[in-house]
Amino acid sequence: MQKRKIIRRILDNITEKLLTISGAVTGIAILFITFFLFTEGAALFQSPQVEHGYALYVNSSNPVNTLQPEETKAIFDAEITNWNTLGGKNSEIKIFRIDDAFQIYPESELGENYELLPAKLGEIISKEENILAFLPTQYAPQGTAVKALAAKNIQPKEYFLGKEWLPTATPVPLFGVLPLVLGTLLVSIVALIIALPLGLGVAIYLSELASDKQRRLLKPVIELLAGIPSVVYGFFGLVVLVPIVQKTLNLPVGETAFTGSLLLAIMALPTIISVAEDALRNTPRAMREASLALGATQWQTIYRVVIPYAKSGISAAVVLGIGRAIGETMAVMMVTGNAAVMPHSLMESVRTIPATIAAELGEAPAGGAHYQALFLLGCILFVFTMIISISAEIISKKKTYKTH
Amino acid sequence: MIEAKNINFYYGDFHALKNISIAIKPNTVTAFIGPSGCGKSTFLRLFNRMNDLIENTRLNGECLIEGKNIYDKSVDIDALRKRVGMVFQKPNPFPKSIFENVAYGLRVNDMGNKQFIQQRVEESLKGAALWDEVKDNLHTSAYELSGGQQQRLCIARALAVAPSVILMDEPASALDPISTSKIEELVHELKQQYTIVIVTHNMQQAARVSDNTGFFMHGELVEYSDTKKMFLNPDKESTQNYITGRFG
Repeated sequence: MQKRKIIRRILDNITEKLLTISGAVTGIAILFITFFLFTEGAALFQSPQVEHGYALYVNSSNPVNTLQPEETKAIFDAEITNWNTLGGKNSEIKIFRIDDAFQIYPESELGENYELLPAKLGEIISKEENILAFLPTQYAPQGTAVKALAAKNIQPKEYFLGKEWLPTATPVPLFGVLPLVLGTLLVSIVALIIALPLGLGVAIYLSELASDKQRRLLKPVIELLAGIPSVVYGFFGLVVLVPIVQKTLNLPVGETAFTGSLLLAIMALPTIISVAEDALRNTPRAMREASLALGATQWQTIYRVVIPYAKSGISAAVVLGIGRAIGETMAVMMVTGNAAVMPHSLMESVRTIPATIAAELGEAPAGGAHYQALFLLGCILFVFTMIISISAEIISKKKTYKTH
Repeated sequence: MIEAKNINFYYGDFHALKNISIAIKPNTVTAFIGPSGCGKSTFLRLFNRMNDLIENTRLNGECLIEGKNIYDKSVDIDALRKRVGMVFQKPNPFPKSIFENVAYGLRVNDMGNKQFIQQRVEESLKGAALWDEVKDNLHTSAYELSGGQQQRLCIARALAVAPSVILMDEPASALDPISTSKIEELVHELKQQYTIVIVTHNMQQAARVSDNTGFFMHGELVEYSDTKKMFLNPDKESTQNYITGRFG
């Protein structure tokens, strides 16, 4: 007897410790993930604007000391061709890349390990007053007439307010997240506008109007829909929705923000319906009876008593719906066309934040600016969902009276 | 005033009420007593058609209020429920303010303007003997009130739509003795204006508040008579046994 008691006590103790540990591990994991995400993301602002390991050089007589990333990009895209647009002299910009050096000097003159290259580059830059040289810092040109343009780090303003996302452009990658953020918001908000009324409608139908038989049939089917993998939804979207949208709206391509919203709405519906329906059905019978006993009609009872009572559950449904919409990656990637440009209308291709991360993380060199920029995108997503859940919390608490 | 004729009621296959007939006079308090599961609550809920909400039920017989069969097809159920108010076993105020709880019935029935509602809420709260306790915080949550106050609020809520009949389904069973006695006093007061039917577990309560008493057992109305006679000199032996506490 005594022995059994001791063993049971030890087992209880172990169980208790295990539970404590699992709680602690979860907490630490969440903290760690958040910390990791934000430190990786924030490191972006310690990366230089110019591609890693390279710098821009000009002749020292050139009055231009620094270039904005967009300006550099415009120069290399031949959109800006004269120094005077940038506050310099009125002379044409001559772009010089490292490859050009090999056309001027035969390889034999550069030394076995290119140890003579820096001096030669210095020579070239000294001779050309209107040169803009994009060179690796490993072979930084030597000479008195050489001036390196100030190597600024990527600025938060450029990141958060930049309108161009060209992470692999040389010499200056552009990490403007505005098109991605707006793309995400556009697709998610439109998806919610479609899914919310529909989802709440179905939830009300199921909880208030449907007979037991109908409910028993419909509820499992709807819950089954929530379990379909998103890539399958994406496939369905690609094969079915895209051609339909293209044909009915007479568009050049069917892969648009609208198609994404439509698909997301379909995907968010089961979650919204089943959570909202649970909330509505949790309204105590006594509440409905009290309302009906006072001569209220069924509809009055639904919108004056049942819905207000289920408010917090309904906002949970909304939050889960938004969460699904904002965070959804695969399906959206398959049907929105993935053009990282500022969205102008619903009928254009857009690209969302999760789709960007999924598509680009594989090809971004670990630790590089691109990699960090993607992490920071993850942080933005994280902050979005946090704001949504906090505001939902506030909405559901507001003016709901506590029951004891 | 209220007249039930040969009522038979079924939950699925279960025969819950067996051939019950009863006549209730206006401005009286009628108590239904009997052991748990005897059908007294089911019978009460027939008078405002609350049983309609339960699926798979069936009713035979006639139930007349003010001479009209309330189970007639032409009857407007919402209007019926407005005329026949109900107070439930557990206090069930809405998660709204005290004022809005009482105003609810007026709002859903489109009764009167703002001023009328204000006045009616005050009258109803006075009628339910709650006004003095809540007049300074009408806009706080109804859940801030004690259980007894909540139940009186529910009575005020029922009074607000000016019913002619009030059904009470064990209104004091979840309350402490002091709150219970307040509810009982209130029932006494309300008798002047309303016809009251009250279901209770508590025989002393039935004896205290009612004019007539009906004793239910196994879905049958065993005995229905003047309360004094019922408690002092019942006709049936099972009534006698129940009242004296031999079972139930």
